[in-house]
Amino acid sequence: MPLTECEAEVKLGPDGLARVVLRGRLSARTVVDCWNYLEQRLRAERVKTLEVDVSGVDFCGGAGFALLRYLNLGKMTPGAKVSVTGLAAGFQRIFEGFTAKDYDTFHPRPQKQSHPLVEEAGSATRRLIGDLRDQVDFLGGVAANLPPALIYPKRMRWPEVRHVFELAGANAVPIVSLVSLLLGFIIAFESAQRLAEFGAQIYVANTITVVMVREMGPLMTAILLAGRSASAFAAEIGTMKVNEELNALETLGLSPIRFLVVPRIVAGVLVAPLLTCYSVLMGVVGGALVMLGLGFSLKLILHQMASSVHLNDVAAGIEKGVVFGVIVSGVGCWRGLQTEQGPSAVGLSTTRAVVTSLLLIIVADACFSTISFFLKS
Amino acid sequence: MNETDDMVITVKDLSIGYGERVILEKINFQVKRGEVFVILGESGCGKSTLMKTMIGLNPPQSGEVWIEGGNLVTAEGDERLRLLRKFGVMYQSGALFGSMTVLENVRLPLDEFTDLPEPLKELVSLAKLKLVGLGGAANKMPSELSGGMQKRAAIARAMVMDPGILFLDEPSAGLDPITSAGIDLLVSGLARQFGITFVIVSHELASIYAVADRVIMVDCSARGIIAEGKPAELRDGAVDPWVHRFFNREADASHSIQPA
Repeated sequence: MPLTECEAEVKLGPDGLARVVLRGRLSARTVVDCWNYLEQRLRAERVKTLEVDVSGVDFCGGAGFALLRYLNLGKMTPGAKVSVTGLAAGFQRIFEGFTAKDYDTFHPRPQKQSHPLVEEAGSATRRLIGDLRDQVDFLGGVAANLPPALIYPKRMRWPEVRHVFELAGANAVPIVSLVSLLLGFIIAFESAQRLAEFGAQIYVANTITVVMVREMGPLMTAILLAGRSASAFAAEIGTMKVNEELNALETLGLSPIRFLVVPRIVAGVLVAPLLTCYSVLMGVVGGALVMLGLGFSLKLILHQMASSVHLNDVAAGIEKGVVFGVIVSGVGCWRGLQTEQGPSAVGLSTTRAVVTSLLLIIVADACFSTISFFLKS
Repeated sequence: MNETDDMVITVKDLSIGYGERVILEKINFQVKRGEVFVILGESGCGKSTLMKTMIGLNPPQSGEVWIEGGNLVTAEGDERLRLLRKFGVMYQSGALFGSMTVLENVRLPLDEFTDLPEPLKELVSLAKLKLVGLGGAANKMPSELSGGMQKRAAIARAMVMDPGILFLDEPSAGLDPITSAGIDLLVSGLARQFGITFVIVSHELASIYAVADRVIMVDCSARGIIAEGKPAELRDGAVDPWVHRFFNREADASHSIQPA
């Protein structure tokens, strides 16, 4: 079997004797052909004694040594006695650098990986309890660190607050504008179709205002904040934890909660209601544009809009904004602090931050609706 | 074999820097086959940048880097891939992939670039790990290894394709003297036994004396190479005061704190 750079030859003798002669270059590329040829020739035979003659080999790379060791281990000829002869002195030393015994010692054995249901349930419960304990820990830390920072404004890191305020608030204005404007469009068009059946298209203005002020404004803003800022907080704090910056803070006597979390929560609480108001405004503008297109006069639209909401509706929207702001920034920071080691840890915390904040936002929203329903009735 | 054949790396009129800033200007040097070549210099003077340029990660501002007869600066596509296979690199932190076990890290190039059968890939990787003294750590995750072990695993990964050249970025940084001496032994052993050419960026004096055949020293203010030669010669015969201080581990007078 002619090979370009490596030749292998198998001679079969009596009494299960096989002689393999290798010649040429044994590199990662050429070894593949040798391997296939030897597999084909040796596997079929019942070999008792295998002699590997490599005196014709003039280069032997890592793959070549692996092939020789593999033959030597008797993996191709189970049960046979194998000898490798004729290696040049330098190669012989390298060959002996990894012996059959080394293979037995270091060869990774497949680990038994079975997780019975009880074990799974147990570890899941443990994780859940650990998560809860972490939450309580975190809330306690915030409760201990937030009031002093508010009472003594000098202790607050205002530059950080301003920075986060800009990143989470000002930089979010374009996306909030677009989403809210389109939301206004959508609600207006959808309700206009239905209300036209009753000849009550003028009430599109009422619908859009109530929906935006009480529900969609705060909710959309919170969702955008969760996507933009909770993830950013988690990633930022998580990376700091991976880089041991949080440990550095601790040993400098600075609480990460006071130093990193409190400014973010304060900024979140300030920015969320403002963005909510802005989102409501844009939504209403979107709705008004649709109504103008439907032929209503601006004065009429404005009158309908003003009469449909009261101050307590606006207050309810802003309250939601505040609560959602706390949730988004708190959860973002908390998940960031929970980050473990390793390259995937930051990604995991970011995902968790977004998912947890969305979940809590919806739960909080449901609580708001329930409470306001019973307060009114 | 004539003299030019014997040079595995030739750096020609190489200028490197970031943006407008030039760190090193028109430097020239060559690395011989089988030698342990060390790049020295003050922190922040472009040692690591020089190495990154030599391995093709940083495009230089001008100049050429020839590795085994190919210009890495201009090479593209398959030619670049061919040149990249000529050397292995160990990064300062090891840069092992954290989501894979040590063995998977080491065998990754074999999986990607060869058609070797599974058992052979495993044998090759295990043999390389044994060579760096990590046979027993094959199944561990990188995060379970100490800094020195991570570096040694990274060397095993860098040499799994049998490259003729190994680049090591600060192999002894952050290691205790014993571990660091272990890496030195590994380097000189590999250079002697396998004839591997080493290009090492370092400023660990003890390790330089132990392994280096030849050193060059780059300097910020000169924007170039200020010394070249055997480490012992530079220690005893350096004219440049800075080089003299470096090799004799003497502080700059401006760094001392004057008693009040």
